Amino acid sequence: MSKSRPLALLAILVTAAMALFALGCGDDSDDGGGTAEGGGGGGGTLTVGSDIPYPPFEQGKAPNYTGFDVELVEAMAAKIDRTARFQDTSFDTIFRDLAQGKFEMVASATTITPEREENVDFTNPYYLSEQALLVKEGSDLKSVEELAGTTVGVQQGTTGQEFSEEETGAADVRAYPEGPDAVNALVAGTVDAVVIDLPVAEDAVAKQGGVEIATSIPTDEQYGFVVAEGEEGLLEELNEALEEIKDDGTYAEIYERWFKRAPPKEVLSATHEVS
Amino acid sequence: MNEILDQYFDVGLMADNFDAVLEGFWITIQLSVIAGALALLWGLVLAVLRQLPGRPLLPVRLASVAYIDVFRGVPLLIVILLISGSLPFLPLPEAVRIPRWFGKPDPFWYGVMALTITYGAYMAEVYRAGIEAVPAGQTEAARSLGMSHGQTMRHVILPQAIRKVFAPLLNDFIALMKDTTLVSVIALNEVALVGRDIQSSDFNSSALTLGALMFLVVTLPLARLVDRLIAREKGRFSRTSPRGAA
Repeated sequence: MSKSRPLALLAILVTAAMALFALGCGDDSDDGGGTAEGGGGGGGTLTVGSDIPYPPFEQGKAPNYTGFDVELVEAMAAKIDRTARFQDTSFDTIFRDLAQGKFEMVASATTITPEREENVDFTNPYYLSEQALLVKEGSDLKSVEELAGTTVGVQQGTTGQEFSEEETGAADVRAYPEGPDAVNALVAGTVDAVVIDLPVAEDAVAKQGGVEIATSIPTDEQYGFVVAEGEEGLLEELNEALEEIKDDGTYAEIYERWFKRAPPKEVLSATHEVS
Repeated sequence: MNEILDQYFDVGLMADNFDAVLEGFWITIQLSVIAGALALLWGLVLAVLRQLPGRPLLPVRLASVAYIDVFRGVPLLIVILLISGSLPFLPLPEAVRIPRWFGKPDPFWYGVMALTITYGAYMAEVYRAGIEAVPAGQTEAARSLGMSHGQTMRHVILPQAIRKVFAPLLNDFIALMKDTTLVSVIALNEVALVGRDIQSSDFNSSALTLGALMFLVVTLPLARLVDRLIAREKGRFSRTSPRGAA
């Protein structure tokens, strides 16, 4: 008996020591934002939640994220004298995380919808989008009507998922954790089509190959940046900053860099009433 | 406190989504039962292969050991992703690459494959413990009566071994049942994914809580059953017990 007790004690001490060591030694990855302060407070950093990757809006590896959203937010942050720090987070819990204060704003190709408005606030629109019907190259599927009875891949929590579930007759709507997962399933042949934001679909066609856009699905979607309900100060600052970069040409420059065409007039003057 | 009840136990929300969550849970049950049965069988095969005697069968024993080591060492989630990510691209007949057997979608069958492959390894070890717990005298007696290794296993060893490890096997089955939720990552509409979907659109976790409660309805009785079986096994082989082997 007396032999096993010091041994057991030693084992417990060693395990505890290893655990503490692992905790202390952990690399402070740039992914982790600090605790988010209220709008405006906390000096120079602006913490931004985003579901990365979602090319061409956000992509790349920490801490060097790039993309349309990333560059816009960085430009806007500069206008209000702060530095943007992006934090990779899962899209289907992103609004809840925002409400809990994990970050101060969300920039994640987020469509302004009435349901979302009930829980969060949006800035003025910064992008006009549509969904696209992505199919394998050479597929027979050409329109939304033909989706009846098929298997459709989407990303969890997106308007693409909503559209597929409510406006198509798809027999099986598969919601994947990440947008690229749905595209991979399409290439593998486990889903017949993917409904996803048009720019993301175009990016997949260009970079992945083997897939093509059967048709675009005009859904009159507007993307906005998101802040937690009640953060009027930050919301105003962001709207003003967005206005400034639209006026001084920074917005157009970033737009052309990512989408190879000039921004449509509508988005330059689009506004959004906070409900 | 009120916020906790609102976020996690909103009964109205649970009632509204009950059907959807139950449908998801039904898929969970089907996945658990099919994968569980296959894993129990596959584990037994692996355990028996590992016990095959004789020098010429050494490669078989080693292969079995290697398989068990590998699949006890690799996380189930990675196995799921490996299968679903690349199986469709292998040069196999379509029905195997993208299995849609019995009307169930392919992520269901990828899940069954992954669960069977992984849990088979765990169960093989449990069977092995059972086999090794059977007193050597049993094997010696059987062999000296002229029974072959196969007959000994089939008629003498395995029945005793499996009875001994019924409880641990059931424990592993409960673990398998909970691990079916990992298949949600390849978009199978089982209870975790359904609950998560509702959570992201309604900003409330009550549907997930409902799913958890459904799990408890099944796993709690199973856990009590395991306890009872363990107690009964203890009683059966105790010398002082009036029941038990003569």
